[in-house]
Amino acid sequence: MTRVNTVLGTISAAELGFVAIHEHIGYGMPGCELDSRWWKTPEERYEETVPKLRKFHENTQKWGAATFVEATGICNGRDIDYYKSLSAKTGVHIVASTGFVGGDTALPFFERASVEYLTDQFVHEITVGIGDSGAKAGIIKVGVSRGFKMKELDLRIYRAAARASKITGAPIFTHLAVDCEPALNIFAEEGLPCHRVLFGHADDGVSQGKINEKALLDAGGRIGFDTFGYDLELPDPPFWGRARAERLKHFLRFINSGLVDQVLASADANCSPLGWPGVKGHTVNYLFEQLIPDLREEGIDDSLIDQLFVHNTADFLTLQPISD
Amino acid sequence: MCLKHSKGASESVPPFTSLFLDRPSNNPTVASVNTVLGSVRSNELGVTLLSESLMNVLPGAEYAYDIRIDRADVFDALEAKLLEFKAAGGGTIVDATGMFHGRDLRLYEALSRATGVHIVATTGQGPEAMLGGYFLTPQTNPPTPWPAQKFAELFGREVNDGMVVPRLERRAPAGMICTAVTEEGMTPTDASLVRGAARAGAAYGVPVFIRCGSDAIAEMQLARDESLDLQRIVMAGMDRRDAVENGWPMQVVNAGAHVCIDHIGSTSSNYLDDSERVALVKELIDAGYVDRITLSSSATGVSFGEPGNDLPYSNVLTHFVPMLLDAGVSEENVAMMLTTNAAHLLSVSGEVK
Repeated sequence: MTRVNTVLGTISAAELGFVAIHEHIGYGMPGCELDSRWWKTPEERYEETVPKLRKFHENTQKWGAATFVEATGICNGRDIDYYKSLSAKTGVHIVASTGFVGGDTALPFFERASVEYLTDQFVHEITVGIGDSGAKAGIIKVGVSRGFKMKELDLRIYRAAARASKITGAPIFTHLAVDCEPALNIFAEEGLPCHRVLFGHADDGVSQGKINEKALLDAGGRIGFDTFGYDLELPDPPFWGRARAERLKHFLRFINSGLVDQVLASADANCSPLGWPGVKGHTVNYLFEQLIPDLREEGIDDSLIDQLFVHNTADFLTLQPISD
Repeated sequence: MCLKHSKGASESVPPFTSLFLDRPSNNPTVASVNTVLGSVRSNELGVTLLSESLMNVLPGAEYAYDIRIDRADVFDALEAKLLEFKAAGGGTIVDATGMFHGRDLRLYEALSRATGVHIVATTGQGPEAMLGGYFLTPQTNPPTPWPAQKFAELFGREVNDGMVVPRLERRAPAGMICTAVTEEGMTPTDASLVRGAARAGAAYGVPVFIRCGSDAIAEMQLARDESLDLQRIVMAGMDRRDAVENGWPMQVVNAGAHVCIDHIGSTSSNYLDDSERVALVKELIDAGYVDRITLSSSATGVSFGEPGNDLPYSNVLTHFVPMLLDAGVSEENVAMMLTTNAAHLLSVSGEVK
């Protein structure tokens, strides 16, 4: 028996199909909603978003289903009722997150909260529901604040996430894999095995040279190559962009070293960004239009692609509580 | 208030000088105040409390798993408090918590219609610790916090184009710009907030309300440096113990700005008690500054995510005013502090005709 929380209800992991493990319907920093320069009408939002999700659904036909893991944390424009309508109308499973993208996206109420309160918040959102939406979160977001250095609030959120993960069985994914030693210490202290944690954005351009890959792998952590598509070849790449070939080579190095079980891939694209311009031309469908053809060209066969996007992800997303 | 005007001399409207902000969209010909239901003549405000809070939400509390905000209950609670204020002789409540601390414009409009109490809502934010990450760690490399000019544009548009219902629409123009400085000391972003608020206030004619940090005089001066007339600046937190110990209230009025004695009824040890507060008010009046004093209680109508103070808005009228009268403050001076001064301040461009 396997269980995964989606915004339209809990389903068997066998139903997930192809999983994009780190994506966004729309992400914005807290407070951006006050700045009308970013506002769009609901018509515009749906118009920007639905075709991308429908395309994603079409692209995943051979896998039987499409699952979109929405990595937007509390306070970042997370909008569960909107996700529910998108999921219902496009057929894409959407897994929502509890947690925070990083301490610097936690508003004062949560900044003042204890580890115990934050744990309760995450557990409630996974087991009871998010707000009054009735939808349960399926994964816990944590992250490193800007500056590549864990701050006290980041650590408090990591510890609460570790406890909530053990209680509920929901996995954790991180924004950034830098400064991982304090994170690994927390997971060890809390008794959470690191295969329940995806250390994300290990492939982005600005993190290179700042990630202790060996420590993450030795601890059993999963490594996120989840910013595929933020290529420097784009007309206007973001500051975290990276040359396409270099990222692919980095990824292949892991795959070809027998580390397939420990990597996950995604595009971290926004369907319709909330408080920033977004990156034109980058969508979740990069995975099908560029990455998978690139992998095939490198001799990666279908079974390995299935392992990356179907089996590893299903294993990771399956709720698996851990008793002390 | 305009000193020249008070002496009967006419004063020309200062030319619009900002090169960066949009031009003011209206030039009222009568002294008017921006309320949530639109422009109201300033002589209709009546007794006005300049620093109160209606819906008070610590940022983020709206997402807390154990907090449910029942709008019907909130409405009933606020309606009862506003009616009590009105019954005690009150006319106008200023919700002085800015744009990101629970401000709910549609609720305030309905409350104002239902109770007949004028409600002035405000723009602005602060201190730094109350800001969302959008302003502090934007998605740029490096994540440079917002400068004064961007805050000036954000706040200015709320005065010129209307206050936001996030991601939905703009409604009535803001009546005042509120900001605050960190009590332990002004951070660089606090300084940007003060300067941005002052720049927007100077461009669009609404007063700027600053909850003081560790140096009220320097903070006031910072606002003044942005070409904001001192008569359009209200320094608040002036009944904080450290403010009084430092002599800030007298220095502020002496310089030409306003003070808000804004914690009437507070029993916190950080603030004066009401009898000490009466003495402070008398001292300022005796020094000749009755036209630069406003009185308020910083009551939190309904509060989520942080403790409210359960003070009724009527408390200033039912409790503090009798104390002032007992201490020998004239009724005329009480009326000046509670009605006239706020009307001058809230009048767009500071003109009262």
